Parts: sequence; structure tokens; C-alpha cells
Amino acid sequence: MTIVSGKAEARRRLQPATSDVLRKMWEHRADYAYVLPAIAVMLIVIAYPIYYTIELSFFNTPPGLQLRDKIFVGFNNYTAILTSGVFWQVTFNTLIWTAASTFISFVLGFAAALALHRDFIGRGILRAILIIPWVISAVAASYIWKWIYHSDFGIIGAVLVELGWATRPPNFIDSVSTVLPSLIVVNIWREFPFAMIMMTAGLQTVPEQLLRAAKVDGANAWQRFWHVTFPHLRNVSTVTILLLAVANFNSFIIPWIMTGGGPSNASHIWITHIYELAFGRQRWGVASAYSVLLFIILMTLGYFYVRALSGNERKDGSA
Amino acid sequence: MSTVSETISRGQPARRLRIDGWRWGGRAFLVFMLLYTALPMIWMLLTSIKSGFAAMQFPPQWWPDQPTLASYQKLLDPQNSVGQDFLRFFWNSLIVSTATTILSVIVAVPAAYAFSRFTFPGRNFLFFAVLLRNMFPAVIFLVPLFILMRAIGLVNTHGSLVLTYLTFGLPLAIWLLKGFYDNIPVQLEQAARIDGATRFQAFILIVMPLSAPGIIATAIYSFIGAWNEYIYAYTFLSKNEQLTLPVGIQRFFSENTTDFPGLMAASFMMSVPVVVLFLLLQRYFVRALTEGAVKH
Amino acid sequence: MAHVVLKDLVKTYGSFKAVNEVSLTINDGEFVALVGPSGCGKTTTLNLVAGLTSATSGDIFIGDRVVNDLDPKDRDIAMVFQNYALYPQKSVYMNLAFPLQMRKLPKGEIDRKVREAARVLDMTQLLERKPRELSGGQQQRVALGRALVRDPAVFLMDEPLSNLDAKLRVQMRSEIKRFHQDLKATIIYVTHDQLEAVTMADRMAVMNGGYLQQYDSPAQVFAHPANMFVASFVGSPAMSLIPLEASMGNGGAVLTSAEGWSLELSPRNAQKVARATTKKVVLGARHSTIKLHKSAVPGAIPAKAYTVEPTGDVTFVQALLSGAIVNISVSPNIAVTPDEQIWLEFDQERMHLFDSETEMALEAN
Ligand SMILES: Nc1ncnc2c1ncn2[C@@H]1O[C@H](COP(=O)(O)OP(=O)(O)OP(=O)(O)O)[C@@H](O)[C@H]1O
Ligand SMILES: [Mg+2]
Repeated sequence: MTIVSGKAEARRRLQPATSDVLRKMWEHRADYAYVLPAIAVMLIVIAYPIYYTIELSFFNTPPGLQLRDKIFVGFNNYTAILTSGVFWQVTFNTLIWTAASTFISFVLGFAAALALHRDFIGRGILRAILIIPWVISAVAASYIWKWIYHSDFGIIGAVLVELGWATRPPNFIDSVSTVLPSLIVVNIWREFPFAMIMMTAGLQTVPEQLLRAAKVDGANAWQRFWHVTFPHLRNVSTVTILLLAVANFNSFIIPWIMTGGGPSNASHIWITHIYELAFGRQRWGVASAYSVLLFIILMTLGYFYVRALSGNERKDGSA
Repeated sequence: MSTVSETISRGQPARRLRIDGWRWGGRAFLVFMLLYTALPMIWMLLTSIKSGFAAMQFPPQWWPDQPTLASYQKLLDPQNSVGQDFLRFFWNSLIVSTATTILSVIVAVPAAYAFSRFTFPGRNFLFFAVLLRNMFPAVIFLVPLFILMRAIGLVNTHGSLVLTYLTFGLPLAIWLLKGFYDNIPVQLEQAARIDGATRFQAFILIVMPLSAPGIIATAIYSFIGAWNEYIYAYTFLSKNEQLTLPVGIQRFFSENTTDFPGLMAASFMMSVPVVVLFLLLQRYFVRALTEGAVKH
Repeated sequence: MAHVVLKDLVKTYGSFKAVNEVSLTINDGEFVALVGPSGCGKTTTLNLVAGLTSATSGDIFIGDRVVNDLDPKDRDIAMVFQNYALYPQKSVYMNLAFPLQMRKLPKGEIDRKVREAARVLDMTQLLERKPRELSGGQQQRVALGRALVRDPAVFLMDEPLSNLDAKLRVQMRSEIKRFHQDLKATIIYVTHDQLEAVTMADRMAVMNGGYLQQYDSPAQVFAHPANMFVASFVGSPAMSLIPLEASMGNGGAVLTSAEGWSLELSPRNAQKVARATTKKVVLGARHSTIKLHKSAVPGAIPAKAYTVEPTGDVTFVQALLSGAIVNISVSPNIAVTPDEQIWLEFDQERMHLFDSETEMALEAN
């Protein structure tokens, strides 16, 4: 809407324009009452913490010190982070974790949605079963998989030994090289149903007529998918991938409960690392500086996120 | 349709074969996904009906030799301390999740409606600001919120959780519901107002029933989110009698690290309410996404 | 029933004026059609009367009350929407009952009125259905019924027939007209189809770009369009408008085309041209007032046939004249072929002249 009035506004002088906005706001004062509760809650829970985090990132809080006795250290926290080896390791882990979880979850979810699109006996039950991992709590999921991966009594290890593929059960989550992929498998287990639900909803909006028209035009199954279904789902796919990426980037519970970031930081991602810095080692300042960096990254992502979520908004607004 | 495809594929058996290839590929894939999804859950159930001794064997008992419900009895028995704790955690989770759900709906519905219908200045900005909340991980807000909650005296209360959980659910709820209201013609409300309804009545009597799937979906989403939340509960609550299920179970089993049957039984019990709720209402969820969020 | 008065009504959206100084008086029991092209502000005007949007300035009277600040529910109006706006979750019965429930009528009376309306509109057997189980025409009837049950002071209808097929539209047109005659209802009827307005309304208000262009009976609007817009909007096929140059001399006047031909005007038409502010005038002629000759006739202007469209009882010929397309209707037994040389004779009594600067119709004293 700002886009519409932009030109007309520019032609007027600034003075009447600002009073115009105020007058309009006054005219619409009743409308704000509807969004006020939502905005108020958001303000309390977002705006204040953001401000506080930024402030704290410039201070040092030695253990045992009260938070209000913090010491100003300028950008020290930031330089400390960027020069530490852990930072780069954790960043690398985070990238692998986010990219792999998002990509594989999306592909599996999309494929499942497609495979379940054609009706067959038992489809409803199958779809319901596939959704369950998304619904149960990540804490429960972590324990289930921790038990499955157990280095002595885990079922996967036992199967591998039984099949003769291993002489003794492997250490899935106690070994630096396998811990991250093992956790990603758990994460995908929980995340792919979300992609499946979204893409199922998306598939239901593909106009049947278009598919029929394509069939009449001689397109085979793959061509129909590529030329009709897929373009139609571009918007949903973008939103789904972004939501998945954000959720994965922000995940905490699975690595925290299953490994606590170990062994030797091999499964630490940003969020678990920040948590450990703050609540484990009481280094609030450094943790806050991390948070600010994270915040900057997320704002960049957020720009695309909002654009994707409000894709049709924009078109309305300029009409 | 069938005649059309027959005309096309006449004399081209290769194409028939390829279509079947896709279909068989799809089936094989679904079987794989079913195993991937279900086997861990089945193993959870099988472990939960073993004794502690039977669970700790190598090679494992693929099927429990002597199935027992002992773990469940222990968790649900109000006489012993484990049962008391578990039931209390369960009750706490229920209270927190229900309160969150009700408040989410009360806050999200009018906001989504206003974002859809009204054209007040700053509408887009506020809408995006609300959506942005989803971008930020809980951890970023943990410290300042903890301090804030302490300042307003909410630490160690369920109120602190409800307030924070509200903000998780709201962005998606508002976005979803807004999509719904966008699709309800404004003329319906206008007709109602001409028929003698006030603006509020038009909303309650005409718009609300039409957006019921969206509201139900919003409610499920809030409930599940609150039920499963861990970090805030882990940080804000320290008194044992306040804990919610995820934190309570984690506390309990970090002290009893080898009671895997008990842990699996607890995981199962913790999952039952949300899974049942979701399975009962999942068609509303998909419908809400189809009609509200995904449709253009 | 009541009369409705709009006084200097203005509605602006930002800096855009959707309705501009519109003043109208609709008498008690009158059927007024609001016509104009898409986006000209018809719906906005109707919404202002209904109270669904508030006016930027100006007054609205229903009966003798100023209703500017009243809620729609307090204005005693009923409205039929373009897309019917039936409540999808309610049965036909409940749709009809809703306005009465809102007014807290006793149950028995609601039932009586709903069944009465259903009987009048011949849809008693549809009462239990949901709107999506009805055909377009049936939905239309329900929408009409919902307005009818209440006996309001004014009926507002926003393009109620535009979603129907041609045959159903003709049928519903006469039903609405009969409904008006039976009830002596005050009706404001929005349409962009000028034919609907002409056939149904007592008076029609022609709008364009937010401005009221002309407000008169269909016959008057047809015979005396106030300006070039109205002239081209009302009537089908549209009135042909030919830009020409006027030259005056010894009491008479001659219109000259850039193509070289000229047309001598009758004294009365010469008088009209004399009142123009510019030499450039526009000649307007409806298809039925132009005579087509297949050979040269004194006073007839040579032209070339461009397209020929037989419709059965008349054949429409289009010709190019002075850069404008001219519509002529001829009897189907006159055979004209495209590109054939023809001669056109204008009826001086029934031709219209417009000032090309102001676009207003030129009138004799
Ligand atoms: N809420 C609004 N905000 C901004 N402009 C609007 C709004 N409503 C209508 N308009 C504009 O006002 C003008 C008149 O709209 P209106 O709906 O009255 O047209 P109409 O004559 O009913 O057209 P149609 O025959 O297409 O229904 C249009 O140009 C429209 O774009
Ligand atoms: Mg309109």
C-alpha cells in the first residue's frame, strides 16, 4: 500500500503528508485494537530481549559476578569469537546440519507427498503413520534414537553384527566422524513429515484441468510433473524450504539431549554452543555476542523468508 | 481420460512400461519411508514392555521373551514416587498447553482478521514484524527473558511458559488464519451487516464458522508446540512440582540412565496425547494449509 | 418505502476520487439504475448508501433521516450482491431467516415469512439445500429472497444478474421488474449493462470516472444524451461519433471532413453548431438513423463498407468515415459486401452534435 500512494505522496509536500499519516492512523484507531494483543506479546518477548542481548554483547561477566556488575569490553567478545577455532568448527557443523537436514527432509517429504497423491487402499493410514514423528516431542525422539544408536545394546548395531557387516556394534554417536550424520538422520526423521504435509496441501491446489490439458497435449507423467505440477508448487516449495531451514538452523533439543555437543564439539551447532557458553560456562557476554551475529545472519535469511511468505501480499498491495 | 491415454500410448509399449516404473518406484519408496518412520517407534514399544534386564542383552531379544507392563504400571501408579512425579508432570503439561492454545486463538484470530481486512497505516510492517518472530531461536531470548520473568515475578510459574509459548505459535497462526480470511469474500460480512448484524456479530456468526478449520489447525499447532517445548521449561522452571513432561522426564532419566524400558514407556505416554489429537484433527490441518496458506 | 437523496457525495481512497460530487434524488417507489463502465464508482456509491463505507464528504438521506453515521443494520435497507454473498455454511432456509433472526423476530413469525418468501420465489423445495448445491439462477433467487423477507425501505442491488447466462438474465430481468411493480419498492440497481438499465429502470443515472454524467429516464437519455460519453455508452451498437470541422456562412452551416466531403446542415442543426466554443464539432448518429444507399444520392456521403454482420432480422454494416467507424443497420435483403462503395445519408432530425472541446451536447435554443 505504501507502494501505491508513494508517487502521489511524493508530489505533495512533506508537511501535509506526515499529518495525513497521523490523521489516517487516527481514523483507523479502532483497527489497531485487533492487533494490539499480538503486538504487545511480541514486543515483550522480542523487542526487549533483542535490545538486552545487544547491550550484553559488549560486556564481560566473569563467573560469580552479578549480572549488573558487568564490565564494558567493547568489541572484545566479537574478536574473541572470530579468532577462536571452535567458532569455525561449530559454524561448519551448523552449515552441514542445516543444509543436509533441510535438503533431504524436503526431498523425502515432497517425494512422499507425490507418492501419496494417487489414491489407493490404506493411503490415509500410511499418511497418518508418516506424520507421527513430526508430532511427537523432540525429547522423546531423542531418547528413542539414543536407544537405537546405543553402543552396546542398540538395535542397529545388533542388526549389523547379525548380518555379518560388522564384528562389533559401531559407536554411532560416540565417534567424531559419525556423530553428525547420525544426528541428521534423527532430525530428518522428525522433519520430513512437515515437508510432506506442506507439499500435500500444495499438490491439492494444482488445477486438475491443467494436468488433463497436458495429458491431451501428449505429455507423459514426468513431463506433466515438470511442466505443470512443479511450477505450480514453486511458491509452496520456497516457503517450505525456508521454514525447514530456519527450524533446522535453530534446532537445539536433538543434539543437546543426544550428545550435548560432543564428542569434542563434533556435534555442536551454533545454538547448542551458545547455550553452553551462557548456561554452562556463565560467559554471558560472549554468548550474547554470538547471539548478535546469529541475529544478523537470521535477518538476512528473514528478508527472504518474509518475501516468500508474503509473496501474494505484494502483488495485492500494488494493484 | 482413459481413452485419451490409450490413444497416446497405442503402439508405444515402452511408455506404458515407464509409467509403471514410476508407480513401482513410488511404492518401493513408500515402503522404505514406512520402515524408516515406523521401526523406531515399534522398537520403542517393544523395549517398553521388556524388563530392564531383558532390554540390556546382546544380541537383543527381537521380540520380548516375557512381555511386561511393569514400566507403565510404575509410571501411572499414584502410590509410588515415580508415578506421582510422572502424573504431576503430565498434568502440568496439560495445563500449560491448554492455556497456551486458548490464548493463542484469542490473540491470533482478531490479529489475523485485522491484517486481512483493515488497511490501517503500518499494517504490512506489523505483519512482517510478527512473521519475523519465527526466525529467532529460543536460545537468543533465553537470558533476557529469564531476567525479565524474574523482574515481573514469573520465574517458576507456568505463566512464564504460557507467555513465551504464545509467541512461538502466533506467527504461523496469524499467517495461516490471515490466508483464510483473505479467501472469505468481504461481501459475506457486508451482507450480514445489512441483514442487521453488528460488525462483531458478522464476525462471530458468519466469518468464524467459515474459518473453523483454520482455527482448529491453529489450536493443534499451538498445543503440540507447547506440549513438546523443552528449552524454556528447562530454564525457567526449577521446582520439581512445576516441571512439564519433557523436562521432567529428562531430569528423571538423567538420574536413572539405564532404565531404558521406563524411558521408552515414558516417551510413549508423552507422545500419546499429541499424536491422538493430531490424528483426529489432521484433515483440518491439511485443509487449513490448502485453503489458507498455500492457495494463491 | 422511502425516498433516497444523495447530496454532493464524495468518496476518496487516498488521493483517488472514486465518487465525485454525486447528487441524486430517488423518489419513493422509483426504480433507478446506476450504470457506467467498470471502475466508475457504482459499487462505491451503493456501498455509501448501504453504509458499508463512510463518505469523505456529502450527505445521504433515506426517508427524511440523515443516515451518514448510521450502521448498515440501522439504515433499513436490503442488498443483493453481485456474487450473491449467500452464507455458505447455512441452508437456504437459514439464509432467508438470518435477517429476521438478527432483528429478533419470534420464531413462528420467522418461519411464516421465510416460507412466504420461498413460495413467492418458487423455491420451497430448495429450503434445506446449501448454497453450493444450487444453480446460479437458484442462488440468485435466494439472494433476492433474503432481501425480500424483510420489507425494507430501500433495495440495493449490485449487478445481481451479471453472473447468469443470457437466457436466465432475460428471465430474471422481468422477474425483478414485476417484483418492483408488485411491491412499489424503492430500488437502486447497479449494472454495467446499459440494456438492463434501459429495459428495467424508471430513471437511469449514468456515471463515469466517479462523476454523474446524466440522470434521466431511459428514453430521454437515449434521445438526448448530455455528452459524448453518454452518447457512446447508451445504445447498442454504440452511436457513431465522427469528428468534423464546422464552417458558417449566410445563415447556414456546413460540416467538412478532412477526407474532402462536406455535409450541409439543417437550420436547426446550424443553430446548434453556432453555439460551439470551437470549430471542431463531433457528429453523432445512431445506426438506425443512417440510411445506406448503393448508388450516389444528393446529400449522401460516399464511403466504403468495412465489415458486414448479418444477425438475422437486421444486418449491421460498418464503414470507415473520417477516421471513425460508423455503424449502420440495414434490412437483410440489401446485400452489401465488404469494400463495396456505398453512400450514407444522415437524418438531420435525429442527429446529435457535440462540442469537441467540452464534449457536451450542442442544443438549439
Ligand atoms: N477499498 C478501495 N481502496 C482503493 N480504491 C478502491 C477501493 N474500492 C474501490 N476502489 C476504486 O474505486 C473505483 C471505483 O470502484 P467501484 O468498485 O465502485 O467500481 P464499479 O463501478 O462498481 O466497477 P465494476 O463494474 O467493475 O464493479 C475503482 O477504480 C476502484 O479501483
Ligand atoms: Mg462493482
